[in-house]
Amino acid sequence: MAEKTASRGAYITEKKQAGLRPVGVFPAQYPKEILWALGILPVEIWDPPLDISTAGAHLQPYVCSIVQSGLELILNGGAEEMEAFLFPHTCDSVQNLATVVNDYIDLNKPCYFFFHPKAPYRQSSRDYYYNQLKRLAKELEPQFGPMDAEKLKTAVAQGAKVAELLRQIYMLRAQNRLACSAVEFYKTIRLGEYLLPEDFIPVLEDFMLGAGGQGPSGPAVVLSGVLPNPPEILQTLDEMDVRIGNDDLLACSRRMIAPPVHDDDPLMQMTKAYFGLPPCSTKNSPTDERLDYLQVISERSGAKGIIFNMVKFCETELFDIPQLEEALKKRGVPILVVDTEINQGFSGQLATRIEAFIEMLG
Amino acid sequence: MSLAKKIEYWFMKDIGADLLMKFGGAAKKKKGPSKPNPKLGPRLEASAVLQRIIARHYFMSRFAKGAMPVAWVTSGAPVELLRAFGFYTVYPENHSALCGAAKRGAEICQVAEERGYASELCSYARVDLGHLFSGKTPVGLLPKPDILFCTTNICATVGYWYKAIAHYLQIPLIQLDTPFNFTEMTQADEDYIVAQLHESVEELEKFSGRKFNYNEFVRICEMSHATSMLWGEVLDTMKTKPSPMTIFDAFTQMLPVVSLRGLPVAKNYYEILIEELQQRVKDGVGALANERKRLMWDNIAVWFKLNDLSKLFAEHDMNFVVATYTSSWSSTQDHMSNADPFKGIAQTYSRTILNCNLNHRLHTMQQSIEDWDVDGLVIHSARSCKPYSVGQYDLKRLVLERFDVPSVVIEADIADERVWSDEQVRTRLEAFFEALEDDGREAA
Repeated sequence: MAEKTASRGAYITEKKQAGLRPVGVFPAQYPKEILWALGILPVEIWDPPLDISTAGAHLQPYVCSIVQSGLELILNGGAEEMEAFLFPHTCDSVQNLATVVNDYIDLNKPCYFFFHPKAPYRQSSRDYYYNQLKRLAKELEPQFGPMDAEKLKTAVAQGAKVAELLRQIYMLRAQNRLACSAVEFYKTIRLGEYLLPEDFIPVLEDFMLGAGGQGPSGPAVVLSGVLPNPPEILQTLDEMDVRIGNDDLLACSRRMIAPPVHDDDPLMQMTKAYFGLPPCSTKNSPTDERLDYLQVISERSGAKGIIFNMVKFCETELFDIPQLEEALKKRGVPILVVDTEINQGFSGQLATRIEAFIEMLG
Repeated sequence: MSLAKKIEYWFMKDIGADLLMKFGGAAKKKKGPSKPNPKLGPRLEASAVLQRIIARHYFMSRFAKGAMPVAWVTSGAPVELLRAFGFYTVYPENHSALCGAAKRGAEICQVAEERGYASELCSYARVDLGHLFSGKTPVGLLPKPDILFCTTNICATVGYWYKAIAHYLQIPLIQLDTPFNFTEMTQADEDYIVAQLHESVEELEKFSGRKFNYNEFVRICEMSHATSMLWGEVLDTMKTKPSPMTIFDAFTQMLPVVSLRGLPVAKNYYEILIEELQQRVKDGVGALANERKRLMWDNIAVWFKLNDLSKLFAEHDMNFVVATYTSSWSSTQDHMSNADPFKGIAQTYSRTILNCNLNHRLHTMQQSIEDWDVDGLVIHSARSCKPYSVGQYDLKRLVLERFDVPSVVIEADIADERVWSDEQVRTRLEAFFEALEDDGREAA
C-alpha cells in the first residue's frame, strides 16, 4: 500500500506546486489540524537518514540522535523547501534545539513553538491547552493566514477520521486480523508524518481492505519506545513471524489514537481529543497510568511480552523504564529493553537478544 | 503529626540542636585549620556562620518527620506557598550538590544505575534516587517526604525525576508547570501559572488539613523577596575591583537563598555577609591576592572539583566574579513586588534563566560582561543538564563575535565525578589561559 504513495520529496514538491506551504515539524505532539486549515503541509522530522557531521558543531554528543539528525537535516540543506519550522515542547533537548535554531543559527525562516501542558493534569491544563491552540493559530496567521473557520472545522473532522481509521487498524492488528508485516504496517502508518488527510485517509482505507486476514502466527509482543527505528528491529521480528500486537511508540499510537469526541467548537474538540490520548512520557504522565495502559494493551492484543526500544540519551523514556520494568516484572509480564541509535543499524548481539527473548516467549 | 514528635522537634530546635552541634563541632575542630593559600585572600568570616546554618538545617530535618509535613522541593519552586502551610522543606538538588562536593556522587549514582537508571540521566536525579534506594548520604539522614513539590522552570527533567519518587513512595506530587518562554511570556502563560497556584493551594489545604492563611503567605513572600534582593546585593559587591569574593564562594553562599528562602534565617545571614563584603570593598580586600583577570562562569558548578578549580584559577590570578547560575535566585525578584503575590510568583518563577530562550541568556551575559567587567568566559558543558548546556557551543561563538570575549568549554558534570577528564580539561584550560594572557581571542 505504502508503495502507491509518492516519496516524501516528490509529495512535497507536488503539494507545493498545488499551493500548499510546507513547514518542518519536530517531534512529537502538535495540533496538525490547525496547520492543515491554514493551507500548511506539515512535514515531520523524526529520523532523517543522515550521518551527523555539521550538527556536532552545535550540539553536544550527549544529545539524542533524533535531535542531532533533525538539526543535521536543516544545516545540510535537506529542509530547504520548508517555509518555517514548528517545535513542540517535547523534552529539554527539543526545547533547546528550538531556541538554538531560532536564536543562534541564521536560518532566515520563522520558527514557531508549541508548549503543551505537562501532567499531572488539572482543569488549568485543559484551559491552557485550549488557549495554546488559539495562540498557535494566531501566531501562524501573519505568515499563513487568515484562519477560515469552515476550513478548521473540516480539518478537525478529517483529523477525527484519521484517528478513527487508525484506531480500527490498531484494533484489527490487536485481534490478529491484519495480514501484514511489521515493516509494512509502520511504513503505512508513518505516511501520516507528511501526507495531508485527504491523501492519508484513502491510504489507510485501502490498507485496511487489502490487509484483511490472519496476521503472523508467532507470539505477539508490544513494542514501546519512541520510534520503530532502526528498521532492522522490525525486520528481525518479521523474520521470526512475531506479531506486534500493539505499540506504545511516541511517534505512533501515543499521539495517533485519539478517542472519538465531539464538540461544536473545533478547538474544544481538539482539546478533548488531546487529553484522551494514551499516557506518554513526554507529557509526564504518571507512571501508574502508563503501567496500567501497557498492561491493558498487552492483554487485549494477546501480547506475551513487551520490547522497550530506547533511543540513547532520551531522558523522557529513560526515566520511566526502571519503574515500568520493575512493576511489569512483578505483574509477571516479560520485558526486554534494548538501546539503539536511529539509523545506526542493528548489531548481531542485539538481534540475538531479541531472538532469545522471542524464543523465551514461546 | 504526632505530639511527641512535635515536642521533640521544638526541643531540638530551641535547645538540643545547638548543644549537640557544639559538641560535634568541638570534636571536629581538633583537626586544626588548613594551610592558607598565598594566592587567595582571607577567608570569609561569615562562612563559619553559614556552615552552622547548613549543618543545623540538615540536622533539624531528622526531627521534622512526624512533627510537621515534610516536602521535597525543586530549587526553582515557589516554596513560599509551602511555608505558609508550615512544611519543612528539603532540596534534593542541594543534597545532590553536597554529595558531589563530598565526592560521593558517583558512588550514590551507581546505586540508581543498578536499579536501571541510565548513566546518561541527570546526576542530581541519580544521586537522589540512589539515596532513596540506599539511604547513602554524607549528611547523616534525610527525612522521607510526605509530599513532593516540583516546578519545571529549571528543566522538564525534574518532572520525570519527581514523578519517579512519587511512584516509589506512593505520595502526592504537586507540580507547577511553567511554559518555556520561547519568545516573551504571555498573559495566557501567567494566567496558567496563577491558576495552578490556586489549585495547589486547594491541594495543600486538603493534604495538610490547614486553611490557607493569605496574610501569612504575603508576609513570607515579602521575606523571600527581601532575601533574594539581598542576595543580589551580595553578587553586586563582586563588581568591585578586586572582587571581595569569588564565584566559588558564591556557589556555597547561595545555599540560604536556594534552600531557606522565605525564612528569617536566610535574610539575617545575608545581612551579616553583606556587612563583611562591604567592609572588604572599603578596605580593598580581594578574594584573590592579586586579581588580574575577571571571569564569568556559565552553568551549575562542577561540585566535585570546586576546590581544585578554585586553586587552579587563583594560581593564574584569575577570579570568577559572576555566573549565570548564581544570579538565578535574584535576577527576576523584582516581579515579586507585584501587588498580587500569585502574579508576582508567576512572573518571578517563570522568568528564570533556564525557562527563557537563548537570546535572553546571551543578553544576560552581555549585561554581566559589561557590569562585572569580564575578560573571559568558562563554559561548563554539564552532561547532566541539557537546558543549561545545549546551545553553549553557539554561545561560545557568539560571545566572541559580538562581545570580543574569549571562552573555553569544559566537558564535565555537576555531581558525577566519573564524567571528568583531567587531560581534556587541562589541555583546554591551558589554551584558554594563554589566550587570555596574550589578549588573544582564540581559545580552546
